[in-house]
Amino acid sequence: MPLTRTDIAKYPFLRDAAEEVRREDLDIQSLESPELGSIIKRAIERIEEALKNNPPQVSYRKLEEDIEIPSFPVAVIIAAASGSNYIKRRYALAEAIRSYNLLREEKREKFLEVAKAFNWRIRLCDDTIGDRRFDFAVFFTDYLRNIKLFHESSFKLVNRPLLKGEVFLTKREAARLLLEEIRRRIEERLNADVRSKLPEKLLNQIEDLKRRYAGHIKETPFEDFTGEMVTEAFPPCIEHLLSDAKEGRHISHLGRFTLTSFLLNIGMKPSEVVDIFRSSSDFNERLTRYQVEHIAGARGSGTRYIPPSCETLRTHGLCPGLSELCRGVKHPLAGYRRRIRTFKKES
Amino acid sequence: MNRLHFIRDKFAEFYEENASKIEAPSSISRREFGFFVFKENMVIRHKGFINVDALRIFIKRIVPSHAYYSAAYYETPEETMEKKGWLGADLYFDIDADHIPTECGKIHDTWLCRNCGFQGRGVAPDECPACGGKKFEEQKWPCEVCLESAKYEAMKLLDFLIEDFGFSIHEIIVSFSGHRGYHIQVENEDIRMLDSVARKEIVDYMTGVGLEPVYHGLRGKTYGASVISGPNLDETGWRGRIARGTHEFLLSATREDLEDLNLKRKVIEEILSKRDEILRSWEKRGPWSLIRGVGVKTWERIIKKAVESQSVRIDTVVTTDIHRLIRLPNTLHGKTGWLKVNFPAGEIEEFDPLSSAIAFKKGEVTIYVKEAPEFRIGEETFGPYENEKVELPMAAALFLLCKGAAEVVD
Repeated sequence: MPLTRTDIAKYPFLRDAAEEVRREDLDIQSLESPELGSIIKRAIERIEEALKNNPPQVSYRKLEEDIEIPSFPVAVIIAAASGSNYIKRRYALAEAIRSYNLLREEKREKFLEVAKAFNWRIRLCDDTIGDRRFDFAVFFTDYLRNIKLFHESSFKLVNRPLLKGEVFLTKREAARLLLEEIRRRIEERLNADVRSKLPEKLLNQIEDLKRRYAGHIKETPFEDFTGEMVTEAFPPCIEHLLSDAKEGRHISHLGRFTLTSFLLNIGMKPSEVVDIFRSSSDFNERLTRYQVEHIAGARGSGTRYIPPSCETLRTHGLCPGLSELCRGVKHPLAGYRRRIRTFKKES
Repeated sequence: MNRLHFIRDKFAEFYEENASKIEAPSSISRREFGFFVFKENMVIRHKGFINVDALRIFIKRIVPSHAYYSAAYYETPEETMEKKGWLGADLYFDIDADHIPTECGKIHDTWLCRNCGFQGRGVAPDECPACGGKKFEEQKWPCEVCLESAKYEAMKLLDFLIEDFGFSIHEIIVSFSGHRGYHIQVENEDIRMLDSVARKEIVDYMTGVGLEPVYHGLRGKTYGASVISGPNLDETGWRGRIARGTHEFLLSATREDLEDLNLKRKVIEEILSKRDEILRSWEKRGPWSLIRGVGVKTWERIIKKAVESQSVRIDTVVTTDIHRLIRLPNTLHGKTGWLKVNFPAGEIEEFDPLSSAIAFKKGEVTIYVKEAPEFRIGEETFGPYENEKVELPMAAALFLLCKGAAEVVD
């Protein structure tokens, strides 16, 4: 089943990448020409739709292929040139959700064609396992690459039928995965540096767009912890690790990393963290100091590390079990942040 | 003669003769190598070799107590961690008796409280019963039960890799670690680029972390006894494992096992009196709707037991670490004087580590043994020993010396 012009209008990111680059170069040169006015107008609309719709979603205009197809690469250029991470992320997601809704209406064969364009190893199937019927079998690495941001337990690999390397999915589930693949691919394209090549007029339009939607644009900087450390608000996993460390019990490498990065992130000084490990039976001041400073980002790559997520702690047996305090929490720092607020309200 | 000097001399002799048996890991020039040397337990890391000859010459020269290479591939392996340029990594699993509750109860291991000197056997407790101290020195021994348990875990892991993940037996390398466990390595283009988040999902699959029976066919109302259906014995993947694990548990569970699950006395009586019926039920739809008073919630508790027995006990950190250094095959393990050896996955059942991993086959030496449990090397059994002088074949003597349980008698 080959891809038609209608398909390209629905899934414009499927166009051959090399061809796209050539086209984009052309477009950039001629973005000021009046014939392109309606294309640019639609491109800006695509981004506006991403910013104002909730959940973000770009609309699909049937029978307007001549504008739908070329307005996509132009919108990509505009989003990239906006320099706003919020616009980029939001736009990529909006295009992906648009495709998701269109894909769910497609015949399975067409769906397969789109997935294969992303080099997925996928095939149609009509298997019933237990009382569930499945539409597709996807190779497990394609599956794993795309479930990373999912939190539903139904998507955990351990809760899927997996046979000879293939994960079985319904069409709806496969579409969720493809949404994620599309979102990521578009996001990757938004990192290109295009600003310097754009004509003045378009740059002005982009600034205008940003002004008009300033209220919608929420850049979320990394929220630093300020003020006093509240030990009573520590999540149970950290509490455990901290008391083990103070009593000099053996703590696994990952456990030490978790504790250290947690304490550093909530504002403890490296030297204070080193002191906590002092009663450990194999304490080595020089080595501990080096490791703590490395995690703080003062050495090596300069990266400041954050503790692992709750999921990861669970995998490695560092989560003492879900307590009531942890309901809905996915990261120890988030758990701490939430409990601090409760403490502040109470006091 | 000093114990470490003696061990080093023997390791040097061994590598002089046998370094040629060290094989090049695939893409050797892309791998990082690391070594421990005897002198002050020093570490040499970030080494790279362009070919296996260079590696062999280096090992002969420095005589490592432990030799490792990276499961990862790098652009420039000799650079610092940040500049190496990660190109992917093999999928790696480490099974160690340390992580397995074995039937021997690790009774051969000993611990010593660092605070008061109190000693005990088995796994070190959380707190010293004498003084409440929490720091211990531990002496661990590989026994036949430990090694068998580790092998059983390795066999379960192979089943997961082949049946569920679809790897061919030819791309799986199985090895005995040279101490208390097994290593399983998958070298395959498809998995090379998986990041540690994806590897974590694979780990959770093998260990059953996050498994919810409702996704594997357990159906019914949340409370009460109206369970309609569950998975069956002959099914694939976790469905089959849940059924088989449940089957096993129900057939062998003692009253105490069932009480541990906090089941009501009536339910326990039901299960104990219906064993034959439960066994027969698998010919049709399984026992899921058979036992009065057992609803979905109770089945979930029973299935938890099944998952425990069917999942694999692996060192989760090893698999998710995409920069891990792993022991180099055909090199000596400094804690035993045994070799890490590869063998075909298909031969795991008959594999005898205590014959295959023996490196020293010539000579005898007299040593003074402080304390050692009974152990076997090849066909011969030695010990137990306590504060005695014995003349032993080189492999047995070196084992005790490497363990730090003996000294050389001049």
